[in-house]
Amino acid sequence: MASSHSDTANIIDMQGICKHYQMTEKTFCALNDINLSINANDYVAITGPSGAGKSTLMNILGCLDTPSSGQYHLAGVPVTQMSETQLAHIRNHSVGFIFQSFNLLPRATALENVMQPLVFRFIAMKARKARAAEALRRVGLSDKMHHFPSQLSGGQRQRVAIARALVTNPEVLLGDEPTGNLDSHTTREIMQLFDEIHDSGQTIILITHETEIANHCYRVININDGQIVSNTNHMRTEKCPIAMEQVAHV
Amino acid sequence: MYSSLLATIEGFRAALHSIRAHGMRSMLTMLGVIIGVAAVITVVAITQGLSYSIKQQLDDLGSDMVTIRAYTTSEQELLGFENTLSYDDFLALKGKVSGLEDMTAMMQPFSFGSSVRFGRNSTHTQIIGSDSSYQNVVRTYPQMGRFLSESDDLRRRRVAFLGSSLIEKLKMPDSPVGEFVSLNGEWFRVIGVAETVGSFFGFDQDNYIIAPFSTMRSLAGKEVTRNIDIMFRPSKGASLPEIQRQITQILRKRHGLQKDDPDDFEFRSAEKTKKQFNSVTQTVTLVAGGVVGVSLLVGGIGIMNIMLVSVTERTREIGTVKALGAPPSFIMIQFLIEALILSLLGGLLGILLGYGFAAFITLLLPNLTEVLVPFWAILLALSFTTAIGVIFGLAPASKAARLNPIDALKYE
Repeated sequence: MASSHSDTANIIDMQGICKHYQMTEKTFCALNDINLSINANDYVAITGPSGAGKSTLMNILGCLDTPSSGQYHLAGVPVTQMSETQLAHIRNHSVGFIFQSFNLLPRATALENVMQPLVFRFIAMKARKARAAEALRRVGLSDKMHHFPSQLSGGQRQRVAIARALVTNPEVLLGDEPTGNLDSHTTREIMQLFDEIHDSGQTIILITHETEIANHCYRVININDGQIVSNTNHMRTEKCPIAMEQVAHV
Repeated sequence: MYSSLLATIEGFRAALHSIRAHGMRSMLTMLGVIIGVAAVITVVAITQGLSYSIKQQLDDLGSDMVTIRAYTTSEQELLGFENTLSYDDFLALKGKVSGLEDMTAMMQPFSFGSSVRFGRNSTHTQIIGSDSSYQNVVRTYPQMGRFLSESDDLRRRRVAFLGSSLIEKLKMPDSPVGEFVSLNGEWFRVIGVAETVGSFFGFDQDNYIIAPFSTMRSLAGKEVTRNIDIMFRPSKGASLPEIQRQITQILRKRHGLQKDDPDDFEFRSAEKTKKQFNSVTQTVTLVAGGVVGVSLLVGGIGIMNIMLVSVTERTREIGTVKALGAPPSFIMIQFLIEALILSLLGGLLGILLGYGFAAFITLLLPNLTEVLVPFWAILLALSFTTAIGVIFGLAPASKAARLNPIDALKYE
């Protein structure tokens, strides 16, 4: 699922991003002067303790929220001043979300769930089904297409969610604690799937508080108190075998 | 424009999917509208059916027939006056008014009471004195024997023409022509039996005896036959107002009425009765419709209530589809269409149910022969339910569309 951008192009470009929340008496600063660039085909983990601002940053990265100040370009498009409708369009075309609790529609089959983002593109039903089936095949769930979420295991549900995120060929795949609800074995499987997806050229950003998952990525951005405290490239010779072994034996 | 259409189609699909997925809740949501519409349709079907069957019966009675009856104003009644129409009035009119097919006089001699006897059996009936023209004017035809002839009246024969239900009431032989019945102690030979008309809302229209006018007059005495009804049927193409003008002129002159005096008689036609009845039916339909309309409104509020609960229940789901790229307008359209489908489906089911109820009630009411659901009632019910769907769907749809995706995703 190669990105339309070259490997060196900035998919994410944030300059001086701040996010303030007005509390009853004082202003709470969730993000403070965040400058961040993420290239195409990057495999990034954003990590930090609870309340550090990870979720706020993810919401802004995924265009679910807009910053109080600063500039944010997603795939070259300035999204800071966009309306909710425009942001919805960007989310549909440029971002693929993967949630900790999968967020599948309970009364829709795996295929219907994966087809969901294509609904907002008004793609013909036949093409929609074909693309969703292909995405499910890619995550190894060809045989579970007509199963409802309640008939699937946690790992399978997350695979459906990944297929749903991939089906639109997004610029960036955003995972919010994607393995948070999974056991160690399934975590390993899902991380392997992320590796494969990344290998195909996809930009991936994972929000996590698990060091093992963070170390699995090529780049780890650590934030605390709304600021980036470290941004390190994590060179790996292989797909983080030690970390995965650790996860597997927890 | 094109994307709005596609959004509507997709919204429709999504709404249908949601309704199917929440079958039980959808059914309960529709219940208020179903009951409301069913009640409206039942009420309208019954009133319209009643109206139709009464109109039919009035037509059978002869919509062209006009009755002239004495009319006493309330002021005159207070002063102790009572206006009458006399047999001489009838004679003065007969043959003098142009444009008539026929004219007859009818009296109900009260001194005869209302009792008729055959052998040991007796029953109450309507005793009428009239002449051979009665048959033409009222359209009463014999199923056996014959009607009164001109000579019966001229010769004051003691003959009687019976309504068909008297045969059973008096336990007469199947063919009672030639038998004798007793009215107030006077014997009358049965010369014919009328065709059965049937009952009119419990009122037996075949329970009467017609005897020659002159016979009844001679037996009852002049005093009790003072007030008569005069009935006529205009010729085809004749102008009723013109006929009424001629009659009015003759009667006013005969009664010595001054220019400013009101008429002491009135014209009554089946057409007029029909009009009066129509206005009553319309009022009943409107009032009943209005009352039941309130229940539809309650049904609409029910839809809104359950849709609002549904939005709250599906908050996380809404957050998910928003994260996947659903614009607010799409969410709005989906929920609005969902409300619209629920109310319209409720309306359609209500129409069917109402029709069923009305058909059932028709079985219980013998005079209501037909279930009549006019097209306007169906159109009105569907328009009303559509309006309810849109109006009461707006609040939940707008609530869903305005949900913040982050808050919605966090919703437990």
